[in-house]
Amino acid sequence: MKRIRLDNIVKVFGSGSKASAIAVDNVSLTIEPGEFFFLLGPSGCGKTTLLRIIAGLTDPTAGHVTLGDRDVTRLAVEQRNTALVFQNYALWPHMTVRQNVEFGPRMRGAPAATRKQRAADNLERVEMTDYADRKPNQLSGGQQQRIALARALAAQPDCLLLDEPLSNLDARLRLHMRHELRRLVKSTGTTAVYVTHDQKEALSMADRMAVMNDGKVVQIGRPEEVYNRPATKFVADFLGEANFTPGIIAAPSPQGADAPATAAVRVETPVGELLAAAPAGRGPGSDVLCCVRPERVRLTLQPARTDGNVAILQATVAESIYLGEMRQYLCDLPSRQQWKISVLAGSEKAIPAGTKVTLQIAAQDVAILPA
Amino acid sequence: MKGTNDFDTHRLAGGMGGHRGGGILANLTGGGLTLMLLAALVLPIAVVIAGGFLHEGKVSFYWLSHALTNRILVGQLVNGLALAATTTLICMLIAIPLAIVRTRFSFRGAGILSALLLVPLILPPFVGALSMRKILAQGGVLNRILLDIGILGPRFQDWPDWLGSGFPAVVVLQVLHLFPILYLNASAALANVDPAASQAARNLGAGPLRAFWKITLPLIRSGLFAGGTIVFIWAFTDIGTPLIVGFDEVLPVTLFQRLSQEDISPLTYTLVFVLLSSAVAMYVLGKFVFGRNSAAGASKASIAEETRRLGPAGTLAAWVMFGTVICLALTPHVGVVLTAVSKRWVNTIVPSVFTTEYLRFVITRPSTYNSIINSLMYAGTSTLIDIAIGCVAAWLMVRSKIRGRTFLDGLCMLPLAVPGLILAAGYVAITVKGSALESIGPMRNPFIILVVAYSVRRLPFVVRGVTAGLQQVPVAMEEAGRNLGASKAGVIFRITAPLIAANIIAAGVLTFAFAMLEVSDSLILAQLENHYPITKEIYKQMSSGNVDAAAIASALGVYGMLLLGGTFAIAGALMGKRLGAIFRA
Repeated sequence: MKRIRLDNIVKVFGSGSKASAIAVDNVSLTIEPGEFFFLLGPSGCGKTTLLRIIAGLTDPTAGHVTLGDRDVTRLAVEQRNTALVFQNYALWPHMTVRQNVEFGPRMRGAPAATRKQRAADNLERVEMTDYADRKPNQLSGGQQQRIALARALAAQPDCLLLDEPLSNLDARLRLHMRHELRRLVKSTGTTAVYVTHDQKEALSMADRMAVMNDGKVVQIGRPEEVYNRPATKFVADFLGEANFTPGIIAAPSPQGADAPATAAVRVETPVGELLAAAPAGRGPGSDVLCCVRPERVRLTLQPARTDGNVAILQATVAESIYLGEMRQYLCDLPSRQQWKISVLAGSEKAIPAGTKVTLQIAAQDVAILPA
Repeated sequence: MKGTNDFDTHRLAGGMGGHRGGGILANLTGGGLTLMLLAALVLPIAVVIAGGFLHEGKVSFYWLSHALTNRILVGQLVNGLALAATTTLICMLIAIPLAIVRTRFSFRGAGILSALLLVPLILPPFVGALSMRKILAQGGVLNRILLDIGILGPRFQDWPDWLGSGFPAVVVLQVLHLFPILYLNASAALANVDPAASQAARNLGAGPLRAFWKITLPLIRSGLFAGGTIVFIWAFTDIGTPLIVGFDEVLPVTLFQRLSQEDISPLTYTLVFVLLSSAVAMYVLGKFVFGRNSAAGASKASIAEETRRLGPAGTLAAWVMFGTVICLALTPHVGVVLTAVSKRWVNTIVPSVFTTEYLRFVITRPSTYNSIINSLMYAGTSTLIDIAIGCVAAWLMVRSKIRGRTFLDGLCMLPLAVPGLILAAGYVAITVKGSALESIGPMRNPFIILVVAYSVRRLPFVVRGVTAGLQQVPVAMEEAGRNLGASKAGVIFRITAPLIAANIIAAGVLTFAFAMLEVSDSLILAQLENHYPITKEIYKQMSSGNVDAAAIASALGVYGMLLLGGTFAIAGALMGKRLGAIFRA
């Protein structure tokens, strides 16, 4: 396991002024040894390009890639000792499963006995020992996926790279493999970089993640941090559903005797006054954007009283959508805003449209974003 | 991610040489190949065309206007166009229904029948000409059969001459040889059409015929055009068939006679220009009318084709349909074999006395034996050259981003559009008496120009075959090899080569097969007997007036067919359905 460091990586495709496109725009990040790191972003955000730059399959236009203590920017693909699990697996159809898995050790000059052992170990690891003598095209998608992983791991790479490895599996298998894949990767202790556009995958599997957009890294952090404290509207949106409202940070209220001591600030918004954890570097009068996740809003039929940490908004139910485990209400708020509110769907009936409701939002559940 | 493949290619090709920008080695190789092809393909044609525009040392249209005002020559040109158009049309009428039945229905024996349809490709029609005469002429086998079963009366004068002479005979022979090319193209085009396209039409109320006419036919139009072009140009510039049938009223025959002389008049070169520009004009016209805006193959089929299983009656009908065409198409071959083994075949349906004398004769007599060896050498050498050049060119085109890639691709495919006759004329022009290259000319030792001619002509097959193979190998498979520690060469030998081996071998086999029985270059470029390839030897025998001429020529034809049939069988086994891809323009 090795640390991966990217310094100011830039990748421009096409030359000349007209056709060129910036795929990766000055990305710097460090992935710690043994970390399971995710690159998350929409199609075309440059995440796969970045992964290929680490592997050496694409040359960066500028910047440096460091594996461990070594600058590998100029090093040929085959000398980097990274192992990539391709999106479509790229299993070689003319070789058996065992030959595929033995390929890495063979290229590293491992003697026959070692090769065999390593292939056997890794096939066992992915529970595919019985399929060693089959050809890849005799396997199902899920099985091919496991073989691709076994092939990569058998190479004993300094870092494991995974390019949307679950995207070709059906939904149920994908859910199952999330857990399985994380377990396998963590059990090897290898530094791993995983590219995906599926935020659920990233949130449920990553140690840390980088959210990318338009070739840039927008935010890096642990899944909870990124989800709860998105840095931008894009991140908040991309990682799940969110309600947004513009606002202005209000002056601190006079410290009366009955006012509880709190770090929360008041934000004046068109839907009413919200409370939020005090944002760094933004004083009273700043224009901001407030972000509230649908499942963090408490919806009640009775009027509620505010305390120092919970804001109260009035709303009217416009529509309810049943989602199985959850029920989502679309609620009309002042100034024509409509918010999504998610509640666990119990056995009781949905609140009918037109019902006046009270929304309670705790200060720690309001994220303040740049306006 | 959709864009992945675009940039995948970059790094791997860069891997051939330097680090970026396609690689120095790749660029040098590409440049070298381009120069070689320019020298071997474009230069000779340029020289021959230029030769037609020189009059008394000055650039002039003297010869061109001379040619275009000559009633005989213009008549020959028109004859040739009519001949090619007729042949192409009849080929389409035969091939399209067969292709539809084959792709839309499944029935017992469909594979065998489909394979048998390709057999006619293995015999140049001019070899079959003599035997066709034996079968279809007034006193031929067919009329004997009709007499036997009482359809014809005993009066010989009333018997029809089925083959006729001249124009219709050439058409019949060409059609029987060439329709498989259209069949392959039509089948491939039909297979590429997303079945959902016509199903959507049916769903919206179109009947089967209407759906075919409105949806399928427009979608396969460019595929048909591609096949039609090959057939048209082939028929338009065919020397062998008209020569043997005795239909001299076409330009290629005139050209052949003029090119065989030691001193060549500029008018000859002008005729080459006229022939080439007519072919190009027809191609452009055809492309304009038929080849535009076809979306076929642009998208992958969204659903699998459901072929309908035919019941006993349907199967029988399909067998009759395929069987009739196969029987007709194989008549020349059967005739050639029978002629080769007949001691006596006069006024009977089958030969009355059989012999292996001729089959033994041609491999024991020096001149005929030599021709077989010569052909093996020419074809073998040119095949090796084609495989080497073809693999490199295909690699550069599929896996690199070198400059001039599209140009190189065009150059490699150009021989499909340049008739053998014209290229041969070009080689005659650059090796003409008194030129620097005289010593490798037809009148001295044509080994080099024959091998180069064969190589150039068949290069598109190899490039196409290998390209098709490479395109089916996802770049990710090569990248995975590099990623796991294999070197550039290691990836080529361990991953790429094994995956496309079938394509390379099949393309090589086809190249070899076609070179073995190549006609135009062989007839024109081999002028000395000891350098004759098989086809020229067959031509010599047939035009010798010898009593045994037909039998000896046929015996040579039998050996040619055996070689070709064998190689085709290997190619078919290796390539399967992809065999068709090689014949598409």
